[in-house]
Amino acid sequence: MRIVIAEDEPLLREGLALLLKAEGLEVAATVDSPGPFLEAIDRHKPDVAIVDVRMPPTHTDEGIVAAVEARRRQPGLAVLVLSAYVEQAFAAELFAGSAKSVGYLLKERVGRVETFLAALHRVAEGGTAIDPEVISQLLTQTRPDSGLEQLSGRERDVLELMAEGLGNTAIADRLVVTGNAVHKHIRNIFAKLGLPPDDMADRRVTAVLRYLEQTQRRP
Amino acid sequence: MTNGEETQRRSQLIERLRLAVDGLEHSVGGFGTAILALALLVWLVIVAAACLIGIGLLLVPSALQAVRALANRERARLSRWGTVMIDPGEVPRGIRAALQDQTVRKDLGWVVLHVLSGISTGILSLSLPLYAVQDATFPLWWRLLPPGSEGPSIAYWPVNNWADALAIGLMGAGWLALSVVLLPGLARLQAWPGRQLLPLADDADLSLRIAHLTATRAAALDAHATELRRIERSLHDGTQNRLVAVTVLLGAARRAVTRNPDTAAEVLERAQDAAEQALAELRTVVRSIHPPVLADRGLEGALTGLARDCAVPCQVDIDLPGRCAASVEATAYFVVAEALTNVARHSGARNATVTVRRNGDRLLLRVTDDGKGGADEERGSGLTGIRRRVAAFDGRLTLTSPQGGPTTMEVELPCGL
Repeated sequence: MRIVIAEDEPLLREGLALLLKAEGLEVAATVDSPGPFLEAIDRHKPDVAIVDVRMPPTHTDEGIVAAVEARRRQPGLAVLVLSAYVEQAFAAELFAGSAKSVGYLLKERVGRVETFLAALHRVAEGGTAIDPEVISQLLTQTRPDSGLEQLSGRERDVLELMAEGLGNTAIADRLVVTGNAVHKHIRNIFAKLGLPPDDMADRRVTAVLRYLEQTQRRP
Repeated sequence: MTNGEETQRRSQLIERLRLAVDGLEHSVGGFGTAILALALLVWLVIVAAACLIGIGLLLVPSALQAVRALANRERARLSRWGTVMIDPGEVPRGIRAALQDQTVRKDLGWVVLHVLSGISTGILSLSLPLYAVQDATFPLWWRLLPPGSEGPSIAYWPVNNWADALAIGLMGAGWLALSVVLLPGLARLQAWPGRQLLPLADDADLSLRIAHLTATRAAALDAHATELRRIERSLHDGTQNRLVAVTVLLGAARRAVTRNPDTAAEVLERAQDAAEQALAELRTVVRSIHPPVLADRGLEGALTGLARDCAVPCQVDIDLPGRCAASVEATAYFVVAEALTNVARHSGARNATVTVRRNGDRLLLRVTDDGKGGADEERGSGLTGIRRRVAAFDGRLTLTSPQGGPTTMEVELPCGL
């Protein structure tokens, strides 16, 4: 797996590179700002880009903009965005095109190496990784008419894990229930959110994205 | 005479000298506005004359606005040094309404009086110390003059020998004494017409005062928000990033322990470095919010402590009646701390001086050093940070640092409400 890292904080950039190399992954380039990042994408054609949200010059959403642009230039490029804090507008902007091969994680998750690597591989293989913190914020801040408040506690747990990108079996393991029970919960979630019962795989992501969109549209 | 009495007398003398220097500074400022007032008065006479043939009427509104502008300039100048005066609003529309307006009439009266008193007291205030210097130094250079020349200042008689020259030198001491005695009074005399005529009538004053307070309060809140943003930024970009790096490195170390124990120690050391950096930055952020020493010992004590800890010998001259708003004191402390760090790091100075004064509602800080100068804001020293913090408080920063030195940084901060 070839990776390009865009992160302006030197310690973190080197730490990440060190970590990934130790795992036997190929770090093609490490850069510290959006311009060189896009050049590196063009030159190295990586499989995955790991991008910090805040980068020079204004330290606001340069990383998101650069990630979206990189995906426009190289369709199918997997992007894992790292952020110091949860900003739903940024997440929504990032997931607006497609949720395939996109991840949005809090920076400190990188320290939980196993989970981080799992998220990285999932995104590289076309999956989605959304930070649990993003999901829980969404769940506490949704509008009364969104359908989300009708979910039971267990169904919320399942939705959170779904959003993290876990499959049914993994969810069942985490919650210590049977696969059948998880399947039932998921059907209930889709029904309560009013999602049509076709195309299972995409609906999982849609369930989360719908709320990202809604929070973005809120005044 | 006991030691205590002597110290007291000395401090009284220094105080008198300081008052005289302040008086001179104020008189020079007043002289400046008086010259402007003279030019304006000439223009007003021309406009009035032109009114007799009609065309002047077109010029009246702009002339009255010029009067208001100059009066406001004087209000601001006098406010910096005594009771605060609020600027009146716009000049009323229409010539008739404007000429009936009390404030406009008083402003016009002030222009006339200020031309008279401002210029005369200004010249007198400038002459006294000039004479003192001229006469006191006369014995040093009288021999350069052709024999039989007149003396300087008011000595309009020929100087022929050493006795004459020394007598004039003694007169210099007299001029100096006279300066010290008269300068503060002259400054007050010069400001008197302004102090009488420029304050607004009580009823007008109140509503404008409310508007003024609203504006300054909004500015204060704005400065507060800026300050919060600054803190948030330094926590996010500094401390938080370091801590994230710590967790990443710890994660890497944990993996290394099982796979390749040899490298684990190295990774752990990096993690420790990052954690220490995070702590150092956190300390800096906390200190920049409100240095604990400020609460314990006030601004004067805190700055004295800073000067004592400075690597370059540093004199402190602080004269502060009362305290300022906490955020202003914190900013003042930050500014001096940064400035002294710069002095110690870059200037190569052998001496530095920190002067702090309060002038009405302004806090004035001055840090000077005798180093090599050439301080450049572009080259990433702490100066940019200082400027940003001062600007957040609507303050002003002036830096003079020619190549070869000396460097002087002056900062003016509003003391807050």
